[in-house]
Amino acid sequence: ATEWNVSLWGKRRAFTEHVEKLAELVSAKTNGEFTMNISYGGLSKNTENLDGISIGAFEMAQFCAGYHADKNPSITVLELPFLGVTTLEQEWDVSMMVYNHPATVADLARWNAILLMPSPLPQYNIAGAGEPPLTLGDFQGLTVRATGGIGEALTLIGAVPTSVTSEEARQALDSGIVRTVAFAPHAHMSFGITEAAKWWTSNLNPGTVNCPIVVNSDAMAALSDSHREALMSSLEEAKRHYLDFYENETMSKWWPLLEEKGIQQITYDEALLAEFREKAAGPVAQKWIADNAARGLPAQELYDAVVAFLNSGS
Amino acid sequence: MAMKASVLGDDTLLSRLDRALYRLEQFFGLISGLAVFGLMLLAVYSVGGRNLMNQPVRGYVDWIEVIMPLIAISGIAYAQRDGGHIRMDILVGKLRGRALWIAEFISTLLIFMLIVLLIWGSWAHFQRSFDINAPLFSRDSTIDIKLPIWPAKLLVPVAFSVLGLRLVLQLWAYGRAIRTGSAEPVAVPLVEDVAAIAAREASAVSGREDR
Amino acid sequence: MDPIDIGIYVSLGLLVMVVLGMRVAFAAALAGLIGLIWIFWDKRDYDWAQLGWAITVATKTAGQVPHSKVASQALSLIPTFILIGYLAYYAGLTRALFEAAKRWIAWVPGGLAVSTVFATAGFAAVSGASVATSAVFARIAIPEMVENNYNKKFAAGVVAAAGTLASLIPPSAILVIYAIIVEQDVGKLLLAGFIPGAFSALIYTLIIIGIAVVFKSVGPPITGFTWRQRFASLPPALPIVAVVVIIIFFVYNPFGDAWGTPTEGGAIGAFIVFLMAVWRGMRWPELKSALLETAKLTVMIFTIIWGVLIYVRFLGFADLPGAFSDWITSLEMSPMLILICILLAYAVLGMFMDAIGMLLLTLPVVYPAVMALNGGETVTAEASTFGMSGTMCAIWFGILVVKMAEFCLITPPIGLNCFVVAGVRDDLSVQDVFKGVTPFFIADGITIALLVAFPMIVLWLPMMAAG
Ligand code: NA
Ligand code: NA
Repeated sequence: ATEWNVSLWGKRRAFTEHVEKLAELVSAKTNGEFTMNISYGGLSKNTENLDGISIGAFEMAQFCAGYHADKNPSITVLELPFLGVTTLEQEWDVSMMVYNHPATVADLARWNAILLMPSPLPQYNIAGAGEPPLTLGDFQGLTVRATGGIGEALTLIGAVPTSVTSEEARQALDSGIVRTVAFAPHAHMSFGITEAAKWWTSNLNPGTVNCPIVVNSDAMAALSDSHREALMSSLEEAKRHYLDFYENETMSKWWPLLEEKGIQQITYDEALLAEFREKAAGPVAQKWIADNAARGLPAQELYDAVVAFLNSGS
Repeated sequence: MAMKASVLGDDTLLSRLDRALYRLEQFFGLISGLAVFGLMLLAVYSVGGRNLMNQPVRGYVDWIEVIMPLIAISGIAYAQRDGGHIRMDILVGKLRGRALWIAEFISTLLIFMLIVLLIWGSWAHFQRSFDINAPLFSRDSTIDIKLPIWPAKLLVPVAFSVLGLRLVLQLWAYGRAIRTGSAEPVAVPLVEDVAAIAAREASAVSGREDR
Repeated sequence: MDPIDIGIYVSLGLLVMVVLGMRVAFAAALAGLIGLIWIFWDKRDYDWAQLGWAITVATKTAGQVPHSKVASQALSLIPTFILIGYLAYYAGLTRALFEAAKRWIAWVPGGLAVSTVFATAGFAAVSGASVATSAVFARIAIPEMVENNYNKKFAAGVVAAAGTLASLIPPSAILVIYAIIVEQDVGKLLLAGFIPGAFSALIYTLIIIGIAVVFKSVGPPITGFTWRQRFASLPPALPIVAVVVIIIFFVYNPFGDAWGTPTEGGAIGAFIVFLMAVWRGMRWPELKSALLETAKLTVMIFTIIWGVLIYVRFLGFADLPGAFSDWITSLEMSPMLILICILLAYAVLGMFMDAIGMLLLTLPVVYPAVMALNGGETVTAEASTFGMSGTMCAIWFGILVVKMAEFCLITPPIGLNCFVVAGVRDDLSVQDVFKGVTPFFIADGITIALLVAFPMIVLWLPMMAAG
């Protein structure tokens, strides 16, 4: 019998449903010969899941690229602002394209890791309690809890990203440390931002974070053919389950919740969004390319591949 | 709670090494104290910047994460030298002479073995965050302003190595006490009854009242 | 072998090492490391060729913990709170507090003892550690009480017991540690400690007055202060009030848009006390010793934290907490009775162990069990066993456990506060102090029973804050 330890964090939620489903499918297909023991935070700190994979302490894990850009520069291309991803499925597919790129494979091989699948999240949007920013000028000096490329983009229109952990985001909002918080909808709900917020931007869509599921490469190599087949053949169904779950369970709660809490939806017109993109998208991408080329990553090539993939409408 | 040394000294090589190492340990301890002070100033600066100048400090949390290991770990040998790490000494406190030194030798040896392994483990942790070819040698960075983490991770095996030296000295001292059967060996914290420890703790905070 | 069995054997091994006198932090780390080796080797079926692999993986896993677990914003509260206590001492705030309390309230029966409780409660609002608080007040309060013909043992008992208030009334290092282990909001927990702390002080006061009324010789009232003298005593104690107000503003945000996090509040408080101490004549030599003492106490606490967390990492691999909470919830006993048994177990354990070490060693296993007993982390108040939501149960249990840990500081045979007081006074033995502190066992027993029976004493403030 093969037993894999899987290191996730937090609680079981939309964000972890594909792993739960994968474990269920694999166990069923192998008659319980190959099982996954999923731990929420017991095996590692979330920012060190990649270290744990590298050591071989557990066989599978989830992490977010933005937690530690220097550990995984290749995947952070997917966290650039205004890539123009519109659906979760598109986010999944473009992620898989990047994961299979030789530069990414080599980047993760340094950690003894193989990328298995993404955990796509919808576009982040900001919520806050005070006056909502209605023009680009309103973003000047606005404190926002945002990380990675989203934070960089907001900096370029004058906002001030202020780092607090997601667990502390609510308190930071209450205490005025930040006036706004950028999250995906499920996180706005699970970290209680919807309890405090008065408004939410429905279409700022500055970008998202990328959080893959990885497998230790030795563990993968040690799998028997039938077990590997059971694992790989389950990915598609895990993907379906994840996308359905996010759409049906999370988003179906989101819209009524906005109603119930009286949270105003701020919708920007196309002219403002175009100006924001103009100011932020290009410069952040150029900086990303320059910084990562300096680390020896074929950054331009990766970036172009992402843009081409998304433009091809696939 | 203060834990002042009750470590005896003489002019043997062992005792002189003990005092030399103690100076190094105190230096590390003072770094830790100054880092606490720096943490306080950083918070004042951060709050002042946000509330008075509407200019929050970028990466405040990142800086805290980098400073904390300095505060929490650099003084570890300093505390071990003075017997400051807590334990239950109901049983050990009853022992006298060689029996006591044998017990101390064994528990110090276990700690030494642990620390040797942890130097290895924490060094590996540092190595994974360090890349000689990368900008700023960084292969692991903080979330917001992308500070390299390797210096903070390197501090751990360094501080543990100082503790390792301290443990070797203590093993040597206990070993000698087992051989000589001395009641009051040099270079190791002596087991006292808890009341005596408490007296020292109390005097450390009350020195000012005496003046 | 079943990982849970490995978990039990290693935990027993840890207990043996601790009892035999190995330093708690290192015993826990060693147990965790050996446990990890065992778990990994077990996974490779005890193949000798794989032992090296198991040792490598276990060591590298354990080697992550010291850095990764201390590099935390929430934990940065602990050194700041410790620093405040030492600086407050050098700023002369403790004596000023006692003087003010004496002039205002020493006219009641047992007046100086009551003043001591009030002054200690005030100092507790800036100090995060009980033992240091007792040590300071033993110097200041006992001599005055003895001069005024108070029973010496009783006077010592008052100081030892009142010192425990420092860990309930915020700021409190031990409450921060609890919050970290159980991953709850530090601000809410600190807030929750306030009323139980004040409540404990009140019960102490009532017990003192009762004793002083019955046994006239124990503590006569002190009268004769003029109003002018009373008001003159206030300004020197004012910085404490300023610090308390600041901490309240940072931690609890009474008016919505407030100034920052608890972390920042602690630091600003420390800074004000620092300025005060400089004004009162503190210079580099005093600052240096305050910093060194802060460093030593901080590193001691943090060494236990990461040491125990290596053991906790092993427990995660062995899934012992899950197994224990399954066992607890399957017991055919009333949940309230189980909770009381757990608290009694803490009372017994605490007779022999240090408070912080005790909490760190037990909470990773006990806390999930208590939460499961109440119906889980996310249970609503209506669906729960104890009539409170998961978050509120975490707060309530935290205050109960910290109160138990503080109770242990005054119970024989190892009651650190009593040792400290006896250590300050050459004319008092530890037995004398234990005799003097006996009435306060009763006070603490009453307090704990009331906190268990009426959880709202704990939960009212945090619930108000949650809106
Ligand atoms: Na306190
Ligand atoms: Na005790």
